[in-house]
Amino acid sequence: MPDLQRSFKVKFNDFMKAGDVSVQIQSILKAIGFEPALIRRVSVCAYESEMNVVMHGGDGDVLLTVGPKSITVDVRDDGPGIDNTELAFQEGYSTATHEHREMGFGAGMGLPNIKKSADAVEVNSKKGKGAHLKMTFKVE
Amino acid sequence: MKSQPVQYVEIDETLCSGCVLCMKACPTQAIRIRNHLASIEGVCIACGECINICPRGAIRAVTTGDEYLNGAGYSIISASTALYPQFGDKVMPNDVLLGLRRMGFRHVHDQAYTNEIFNVAMELYVRERLVEMKLPFPVISPICPVVVRLIAYRFPSLLEHIPPLATPREIVAREAKKRFSAKYGDRPDDVKVLHITPCQGKMICIKEPVLQSSSYLDGAIGINSIYSSLKQHILEVEEDIVLHHSGGVGLGWAMCGGEVAGLDMDCLAVSGIQETIRYLEKIEMGLLHDIDYIEFRICTSGCLGGPFTVADKYQAKHNLERYVRMFGVEKRVKYEYVKKLYEDGWFFTDRQIVSLAEKPSCISASEISKGIERQNRVEEILQSLPGKECGACGSPDCRTFAEDVIDGKASLGSCVYWKK
Repeated sequence: MPDLQRSFKVKFNDFMKAGDVSVQIQSILKAIGFEPALIRRVSVCAYESEMNVVMHGGDGDVLLTVGPKSITVDVRDDGPGIDNTELAFQEGYSTATHEHREMGFGAGMGLPNIKKSADAVEVNSKKGKGAHLKMTFKVE
Repeated sequence: MKSQPVQYVEIDETLCSGCVLCMKACPTQAIRIRNHLASIEGVCIACGECINICPRGAIRAVTTGDEYLNGAGYSIISASTALYPQFGDKVMPNDVLLGLRRMGFRHVHDQAYTNEIFNVAMELYVRERLVEMKLPFPVISPICPVVVRLIAYRFPSLLEHIPPLATPREIVAREAKKRFSAKYGDRPDDVKVLHITPCQGKMICIKEPVLQSSSYLDGAIGINSIYSSLKQHILEVEEDIVLHHSGGVGLGWAMCGGEVAGLDMDCLAVSGIQETIRYLEKIEMGLLHDIDYIEFRICTSGCLGGPFTVADKYQAKHNLERYVRMFGVEKRVKYEYVKKLYEDGWFFTDRQIVSLAEKPSCISASEISKGIERQNRVEEILQSLPGKECGACGSPDCRTFAEDVIDGKASLGSCVYWKK
């Protein structure tokens, strides 16, 4: 039986639409019938990574893959990439601009929150060549 | 779930034209059009959107009924503070309470005062929770029953944000039963408490409470049903009895932001169904965790915008704001007294959460597989549909139609655009 796959587009700097992809992912997972706590973990991660694309990325794609054993969310963008992955996962470390902070974003909690909520996180990024973030969630 | 769902709204088939407005307005996609008539087939959260939007007045909320209006059988009244500002700016809260008593009710309680007590208890609760940090933030107000039901249905992971504190209307009913059975020798079950309400939502807490095992209220009746009779009684002779004890804070609860006005912490007040859903989605995504408390009201402008109110909501808000200025923003309850009650467990309910989730959370892998397969089929059908979202098929939108087709509740042929 094939897994369920959906892809979504995220636009750089489009703060009006930011968060919409996560809401769609939420509703797909609810329709399938996953337990609330799992849905919540996935939506926290989907939201944080979506915001990363909106703030830092270029345009990006989110690919949701749902199988009976696991859920994965792949987020790719063609932005400037992550300079120092270790630093990026540190709480409070942020490369957000002044404008982002004025809107209430950029507290440096994005990737740390993702690490806490997902069962596995993989980052592939090279400076100047975009970023790829893969988050996996086990279905108990 | 119960086999016979409770009806919160009724559709008058002689008035219904079978248009799509109510079906499209329903936030839980519970309505379908069958044979040119609207029918409720899914979970109704009693939000009142369909009542408000129906141009023919064909949808009516179900309440306890008019037979109790003379006070017979129902001796105690707890009234929403939305009732107070319905009679113009010359009528004071005390006049309204006296008017209710003259209608024949044995006891009339000023809920505004209990609101202030509740504010203090909620501050105590949130501070305790901030210290322990066991449960997530923001704390979500348990006051609007429709919001609570919406959370149970669509956002079950947020149920733990709602504190296990009894609402002022439940506290009023519980205490009245205790006190009056002692005073008159009635059995607690014989003391009946009727709630005067601005909305059909209160019927939820009476018939199918989400957060506790049962309600202390025995019935609810709309402000509009009692309005003309009450108005006459208010206009009668003046009496010199004081039934209203609250300050302005407790009175202000009926408007959006009124509940949080009495809380000394970081709060937000959100009203209207679309905004409420948007903010619940945000909380589910982990946002707003730095806010202490959020007041949600399903009706725009808060309870003053309820379908059973009579006065214009903005006019009523103006009257209410006058009261607040007049009675001041100081709470009139004694902090030490409420603290003692709080520590004695006076505010806590026998928390029993009833899950209404769209689907029971299925843990087994085979059910998850079925769910995935079903969603894949929904998507497949959705691709073959025109995406006009017209509702002519009788389902509220193309996605729901695709789901109905899979569940055998609709056939593809009823899509007017669909080509084989």
